[in-house]
Amino acid sequence: MSASVNRAAYVFIAPALLILAGTSLYPAIYSFVLSFFNWNWGVQFDFIGLRNYSDLLGSAEFWQVLYQTFLFAVAATGLELLLGLGLAVVVDRLGFGAGIIRTLLLTPLMVSGIIVALMSKILLDPMLGFVNYLLVSLGLPPSPFFGTTATAMSTIIMVDAWWQTAFVFIIVLAGLQSLAQEPIEAARVDGANSLQIFLRVKLPMLRGVLFTVLIFRTIDTLKVFDIIFGTTGGGPQIATEVMQTFAYRKAFSFLQMSEAMTVMVIFSTIVLLICLLYMRLESRLEKA
Amino acid sequence: MAALRRDQLERALAYLISLAATLLTVFPILWLLTVSLKSQRDAFAVPPKLVFEPIADHFLGLLDKPGFVEAFRNSVIVTALGVAIAIVIAIFAAYSIHRFRFRGKQLFGVWLLLAYMLPEFLFIIPLFVLYQRIGWYDSHIGLAFAYQAHSLPFAVWLIRSFFREVPLELDDASRIDGCHHLGTLRHVYIPMAAPGIAATAILTAIWIWNELTIALSLTFSEAQTITVAVASFRGYTSINWGGMAAASVVAVLPMLLFAVVAQKYIVKGLTLGSLKG
Repeated sequence: MSASVNRAAYVFIAPALLILAGTSLYPAIYSFVLSFFNWNWGVQFDFIGLRNYSDLLGSAEFWQVLYQTFLFAVAATGLELLLGLGLAVVVDRLGFGAGIIRTLLLTPLMVSGIIVALMSKILLDPMLGFVNYLLVSLGLPPSPFFGTTATAMSTIIMVDAWWQTAFVFIIVLAGLQSLAQEPIEAARVDGANSLQIFLRVKLPMLRGVLFTVLIFRTIDTLKVFDIIFGTTGGGPQIATEVMQTFAYRKAFSFLQMSEAMTVMVIFSTIVLLICLLYMRLESRLEKA
Repeated sequence: MAALRRDQLERALAYLISLAATLLTVFPILWLLTVSLKSQRDAFAVPPKLVFEPIADHFLGLLDKPGFVEAFRNSVIVTALGVAIAIVIAIFAAYSIHRFRFRGKQLFGVWLLLAYMLPEFLFIIPLFVLYQRIGWYDSHIGLAFAYQAHSLPFAVWLIRSFFREVPLELDDASRIDGCHHLGTLRHVYIPMAAPGIAATAILTAIWIWNELTIALSLTFSEAQTITVAVASFRGYTSINWGGMAAASVVAVLPMLLFAVVAQKYIVKGLTLGSLKG
């Protein structure tokens, strides 16, 4: 009996295993193996040991790109968490019209990253864009936005916040609405005001949800590609280049295939370590 | 009395902030829509024109742009194909994880998580090389297949959490009736979890339709998707805002309509995964 049950388990899971082997396991191993070779899409194909790694880790460009990737991820995740949480708390208080407001607030999640990118290029055009027009008519200085190394990264962070805050918002809102009511009522009876109730009662109860959202947004922002590809393409110079645009450029503009794969092997290791770190923290959080 | 006033004040403030946020959210999309309907001169006008004579030229122009209509069609095909593969295979896999204990189950869970979490280009650059050799480069099936590294783990994970909500008594009852696993899946789990499966399919469709990174790397002309076609406008932004905006509107409209019709499912799918883990 148990043998046949087991067989069914494997038969049912086999197609998924096969597809995942083809789309993720094989490519990951391929990338890893090729990272020890020198291959630029030609006939030349040499084993070079750790040369790709030492070249990359020894280049200032690589470290700048890695730093920028993290700068973007930390800033965008932080901003989105803050805005999303605030928005969820506010919308949770609404009565009439809450449904339609929620629907409208969710629309950015339906919009493709490349469209978000092009849309922001139109709105944030330094000369003809609506936002600079608005800034000037309010007596504020206009901004070059994507145009200079000093402003490009913060502009992209802002664009990502427009795009993905809704994700944090909807999940935290659902979390808020499914909280147990007794502790909240008890605090209210004790005379706590809404700020105190939020900080001392609701926020601690939301810890798990916020942590999940934090993981999702961190990983997703580390992997950013479309909104940078569609706006600055990594520029000006390499001021907004991040790991994924870096690998894309190496592979598809310069055909430095093995080097691009090395970039991804290093970056994947970093992402993996962050996942492990978060899992560790999460299990500690649950015990606490 | 003072507490009541305070409560009213807080609620008024909540409305004010929500409305401001809603305006900030919706305005860029509406602005894009107006640019797609403006003549070049109106689009570039400073101060911006709020009242203008709408024209359909940019939308009609898309019909003449080589490959644009085909790109829309390709996106429909690849999305349908990708969702079908992900959902059918995920239903079986989710049932297996939900219903059985077997060796390697935990490892499978970790693998799902990794495939979902790791950066696209780790998988895409090797697939590009492979596809060039086996003739899957620039094909619908190749692209739909590549999407599974992301869509399949997502679907397995979500459908499994919907299967968990199916009462065990129903499962046992069907077993007593002599149903095999296929029968239990077909007569109990799939009907009971149908709304959840629909939510999963919708979210997967939205993800595939909007995806750029993988489509950009694995297609060129024959299977080029709508997002890649839209991206091709990015080079000459300053010249052709109208075309760019019109293409974006065409690409985003199906998803916005989708969202209005299926909002309940979307929220269900988005929140269930993270609230129950």
